Amino acid sequence: MGSISFDNVGKVFGAGAGALVALEGITLTVADKEFVAIVGPSGCGKTTCLRMVAGFERPSSGNISVDGKLIVAPGPDRAVVFQQFALFPWKTVRGNIEMGLRNKNMSLAQRMPLVDAALKLMNLESHANAFPHQLSGGMQQRVAIARAYVLDPAVLLMDEPFGALDAQTRVVMQEELVRLARLNPRTVLFITHSVEEAVYLADRVAIMGRRHGRIKAIVDIKSVRLAEQWDQLERIEDVMEQESFVHLRSSIWKSLREEK
Amino acid sequence: MGFYLRMRRAMVALSTLSALVVAWFVLTTVTGLISSGRFPDPFATWAAMRQLVSPGYAGSTLVVHVVHSLTLVLGGFMLASTLGVSLGLLMGWSRKAEAFINPIFLLLRPIPPLAWIPLAILWLGLGDAAKIMVIVIAAFVPNVINTSTGVRTIEKTVFEASQMLGTPRWRFVGEVLIPASLPAIFTGLRLSLQAAWTTLVAAELVGALAGIGLVLNVAQQDIYPAMILSAMFVVGVLGWLMTLLLGFVERRALAWRTA
Repeated sequence: MGSISFDNVGKVFGAGAGALVALEGITLTVADKEFVAIVGPSGCGKTTCLRMVAGFERPSSGNISVDGKLIVAPGPDRAVVFQQFALFPWKTVRGNIEMGLRNKNMSLAQRMPLVDAALKLMNLESHANAFPHQLSGGMQQRVAIARAYVLDPAVLLMDEPFGALDAQTRVVMQEELVRLARLNPRTVLFITHSVEEAVYLADRVAIMGRRHGRIKAIVDIKSVRLAEQWDQLERIEDVMEQESFVHLRSSIWKSLREEK
Repeated sequence: MGFYLRMRRAMVALSTLSALVVAWFVLTTVTGLISSGRFPDPFATWAAMRQLVSPGYAGSTLVVHVVHSLTLVLGGFMLASTLGVSLGLLMGWSRKAEAFINPIFLLLRPIPPLAWIPLAILWLGLGDAAKIMVIVIAAFVPNVINTSTGVRTIEKTVFEASQMLGTPRWRFVGEVLIPASLPAIFTGLRLSLQAAWTTLVAAELVGALAGIGLVLNVAQQDIYPAMILSAMFVVGVLGWLMTLLLGFVERRALAWRTA
């Protein structure tokens, strides 16, 4: 199970005259196994939404809950994939992936098959004993995704996970994520500023405006994807050439542009 | 560094040192520009060194002096590092601890470690305990400063990743906080070892029963420049060897950065 619910959430940074309203009246529900992307310009508060679900920040007003439980602190039921990977450079790939399972007090015999499966899932088997600095950015992010997946979290929180990668690697990782989502569906909250990425990956896209950190609109992608059978297409560029894709992308883009 | 580059550097170092010895020889023995009363020539120094090794000087042989000095330095260094790194971790991690401890630290820091010698001798006498106390005071400071700075410069996402993975407190300290600060901790250890060594030699000059500083002190009273030079040479070589050893440990401990 895993559903996220934002109920009229507001966030204010600082206090008094210097207070900054980052978010206001955010209401959004992510259903179990649903993939929701939030797009918006830099500084719109989209990352703050994710950080509050993770438990790194508290809402100033309103409630956020996962499976009906209010969030009080970070925890392995809400795995985070960070933009800057945030791996432990002194641990090997295996050591990084294993950490969360050791924290759950799993024995070596219990966690070995899980770690091996995660390595296989992300095509990391041959790098199990490498240190992060020996890997490319794309590989490091694979490790971070494996580290999150292996926890078997209720929800997966991805904060611009491909933002630090070069364009080619980024495309490979996007396709990889789609493959993963089909193989092993999860509840995902995905933050990005790339409209293309959001439309390609998500079931629904929430558009955030720059002013007052509100959600302007929520666009349903899943019904279009199913109707137009995007899943039959193997490559991302084939999907992106579909008329239905182009249409969705440009309508979301226009909605964002109106902000400026 | 490749083998050839290392060999080349070693050759350069060797030729610089040989040139120095030749210049020394020329200035003293060959031309007599520097009189041997002021500065001993290489042969006199070599003879003093042999005397120091056996039968010995200032009450003991070289080995006894060196073992005595090294025991004090390593004992003091380890004690200072354990205390200093622990306090540094605490001060880096907890703003509250830093706010309480830092004022004391700021007050005590400008006092040169050697200024503690009179108090140490009053409290603990002329024996080894007083010297260890002074070494600990000197070697403690760089550990605290570098460790706490190291902790404070850890990226926030490293802490967040650790929290997200549900890391319990003790494992967080051992597997996240300490390894993440390790490069800075080693900077502190290197400075600390240097401070420990220089402080020890100075402390032994004031009063000791054995030790390389005692050799220097007795040789000065005996007006024996060749022995002074030999002892200084021993101090230099030992300091260099200790730094080399620590560098080796550091490369092993931080292999994840370069492996």
